[in-house]
Amino acid sequence: MKTISLSGLLILFILIGCEDMVEVDRQSYVIAVGIDVTDQDGIYAFTYQIANPEAGSTLAGIGAEQIPDETITVFGTDIMTATNTANSFVTKQIILDQTRVLIVSEALARSDQFLRIMQSTARTTEIRRSIQIIVSKENASDFINNNSPVLEQRPHKYYQYMLSRAKETGIIPDADLHRFFQITEGDADLFLGIYATTTYDPKELDGSEDEFVAGQVPKEGGNVTQFMGSAVFKEGIMIDRLTGEETRICNILDKTMNINEMLANYPDPLAPEYQVATDVFQTDNPKVNLNYDSEMNHATIDVTVPFEVKILAIPSLIHYSQNEDFKRTLRDAIEQYITDATDELIKKSQEAYRSDPFYWSIYIRRHFKDIPAYEEGDWHKNIYPNADITVNYQLKRLHFGKMLDDTKLDEVRD
Amino acid sequence: MLKKKTQTKEILNTKLLINLDILKERFSFGLNNDFSIRLITAKFNKHELCLAYYASLVNSDKIEQTIIQPLLEQEGDSLFDVITAESITKIKELEELDDHINNGKVVLIIDGESFGYSIDVAQFQHRDISQSENESVVRGPKESFTESLHVNISLIRKQIRNRELITEVQKVGKRSKQDVQLMYLNSVVNDQLLDEIRSKLTQLDVDNVQNIELLEQFIEERPYSIFPTILYTERPDNAATYIDKGHVVLLMDSSAACLILPITFWAFIHNVEDRYSRFLYGNFTRLIRFIALFFTSMISSLYVALSNFHSEMIPPDLLFAVTAARERVPFPLIIEVLIMEIAFELIREAGIRIPNPLGPTIGIVGALILGQAAVEANIISPIIVIVSALSGLTSFAISDPSFNFTVRITRFIFIISAGFFGMFSLMIAFTLWFMYGASLKSFGVPYFAPLSPTYKSNSDTYFRKAIKKEKWRPGYLLPKDLQSSRTFERGKTK
Repeated sequence: MKTISLSGLLILFILIGCEDMVEVDRQSYVIAVGIDVTDQDGIYAFTYQIANPEAGSTLAGIGAEQIPDETITVFGTDIMTATNTANSFVTKQIILDQTRVLIVSEALARSDQFLRIMQSTARTTEIRRSIQIIVSKENASDFINNNSPVLEQRPHKYYQYMLSRAKETGIIPDADLHRFFQITEGDADLFLGIYATTTYDPKELDGSEDEFVAGQVPKEGGNVTQFMGSAVFKEGIMIDRLTGEETRICNILDKTMNINEMLANYPDPLAPEYQVATDVFQTDNPKVNLNYDSEMNHATIDVTVPFEVKILAIPSLIHYSQNEDFKRTLRDAIEQYITDATDELIKKSQEAYRSDPFYWSIYIRRHFKDIPAYEEGDWHKNIYPNADITVNYQLKRLHFGKMLDDTKLDEVRD
Repeated sequence: MLKKKTQTKEILNTKLLINLDILKERFSFGLNNDFSIRLITAKFNKHELCLAYYASLVNSDKIEQTIIQPLLEQEGDSLFDVITAESITKIKELEELDDHINNGKVVLIIDGESFGYSIDVAQFQHRDISQSENESVVRGPKESFTESLHVNISLIRKQIRNRELITEVQKVGKRSKQDVQLMYLNSVVNDQLLDEIRSKLTQLDVDNVQNIELLEQFIEERPYSIFPTILYTERPDNAATYIDKGHVVLLMDSSAACLILPITFWAFIHNVEDRYSRFLYGNFTRLIRFIALFFTSMISSLYVALSNFHSEMIPPDLLFAVTAARERVPFPLIIEVLIMEIAFELIREAGIRIPNPLGPTIGIVGALILGQAAVEANIISPIIVIVSALSGLTSFAISDPSFNFTVRITRFIFIISAGFFGMFSLMIAFTLWFMYGASLKSFGVPYFAPLSPTYKSNSDTYFRKAIKKEKWRPGYLLPKDLQSSRTFERGKTK
């Protein structure tokens, strides 16, 4: 009896054994997926950027020159079945486990097809919820093909570094898949996707460093790809794009976002032809104080944003650090400048978008008894567009760096 | 047992000639070259007497100086006045006679007396006390047990100068009677525990138990268990520490080690040096050892589970490195891991059997060359060499030889179970393994005590407390005196 049951157990193990097992070297790892519209309805072009694991490997026996990735485009109705089609010419099983970014062309993002195609990504276990959504100005396949980084040739490294650094500076939002579904399903607020392009369309220089969207940043050399600004999604459809500066403001006002540091220029208040270079950092989350009048269905939102500024350069050589009046002027000017820009953005969001990109609906939810009541209140249509919003920036500290005084111009040039 | 008691015991005769015949028959005199009989006429009473002994077990100088010479030359009233040897006991039964002669004593039989005298002149040969080789320490006493019971007892007694330290003798073996010494603190040890050990020893129905290593297998509760339940140590200071806590130590002749029981899981992970090093240093070592325990039992199986089933859990850089390394390897990953793990075990076994002291060196060099060549020939991937080297190397941090086997066998169980369903089956295997461990008892003491179930103790489990704060004996031993230190408390009340 004992032997029978033991051998039964053994057979059981052998029969079920190794189910689901895949050797690592029999998989193709897709780093970036691009989705484009085609002429036919319901058929999309899927572009997969597949990493070559042998690129950059120092193992003996691997040739020195290995291309870092292979890009393929197939047509299909959804992401998962398209990987199977792709296997007609890709040797290994295509795996989306390691995918870092999902690139959508602006054309697709602006169509009502976008939400349909995104649904399948939520269903499968293979796609991570932390995938970043990038909206490209041109076709996603063109974006992937044109993107040719020189230093970080291996694609996963490129996206990892590029996105994390751009996010630290606040010029692009944190736009993962999870957040997309959270905001879209929440039926309030606007989702910000990362805006990027490989087409170059430089804008006139005006001294400011972040009033661009991708493609407009004037530059020479380097990769053609630019990540700058964000694509605004309302109810799963792209409606507009924000510049880098506007994206920064969104990141500052949204407590679910973090900016480590942002270097920004502000017009010099005493010498308007110059700019003051600053490093702005947020020490605390913004305090959002939302009062809701349920009878009038009207909200008053007071936001206080504490922040600190490190002065990096004062090309006008005005002695702000020594003179209290000058200092106050500078403080006021910086506060004023940011407040103006913010008010402008809020006005645009209330009037044009009729919803907010700051994820402020989380503050009003507790004022409702249940979800139907909240839905009746309708953040999109009623509450936000009519809300009274005041944003108050508090510059808590002004650092002048290692050297208080700048060069005295009149003494140098006498 | 009962049968023997009813038998009438054979005793010595009053006539020396008859006694001589009995002796010669019992010990195969003439055939057994080692057995010697010496006939003398004593000067003090003019009687004939004989000395019977094993020549190889006794100190012949001592026989000459303390027995033969006085008998031939000295006058006196009785034998006790004549013989200068330090201990003489009277014996009557033949069975006793066997025992005494077998234990290296001289039996003296005088004509006209129906009993003999046993005089202790034993000199068993043994090794000198040497350094502990398998449990070496940097800080702490270096001496280790040797194959002599007397020396071993003295090594322990040296560290516990206490009249309550008892060395109790139990005989084991039906044909060859060997002494097993139980050492314990009478005022501390739990009586029930002692009774259990005593009854286990007396119930042993075997002809011969040569040494402590065999005794361990005779008295343990679960011979098929993967976990050891008796601690084997060759360090007298370790034994003394455990005696102080209320454990029982078993010693035998011809074993350069002792058994400590009952014991918990933690004793196999701990090392005496943890206590000899200062608080922070000792605990740092413990931390390293627990990391080593995790690595040696888990790292290969985690590698199998992650790369075969959950490649999404590996960061891309590492994943691509693994993938690139595996592209030219012919075997499935789990076979590759097993090849290297078995190779490591082979080298290890060979290293032990290779004659001293080149063994380990040749083993390691062999491993390196073998690994290097296998990688260059694309038989295995370099990552595997790292993984198996790490798991092999960390296994040496588990110094107890028995538990070391536990961990090494466990590693194979885990690797194979990881091959079924990845992390899922690995966790099932680990849970079962852990549940089995938690269900074990060593002489009534739960294996993971005092962590689970909890007892009053110094909670010396993962980490130890500062020595001054150790004031309890382990409560799971149910000692008669639970408190081992009162200094700390007194300091508080002041």
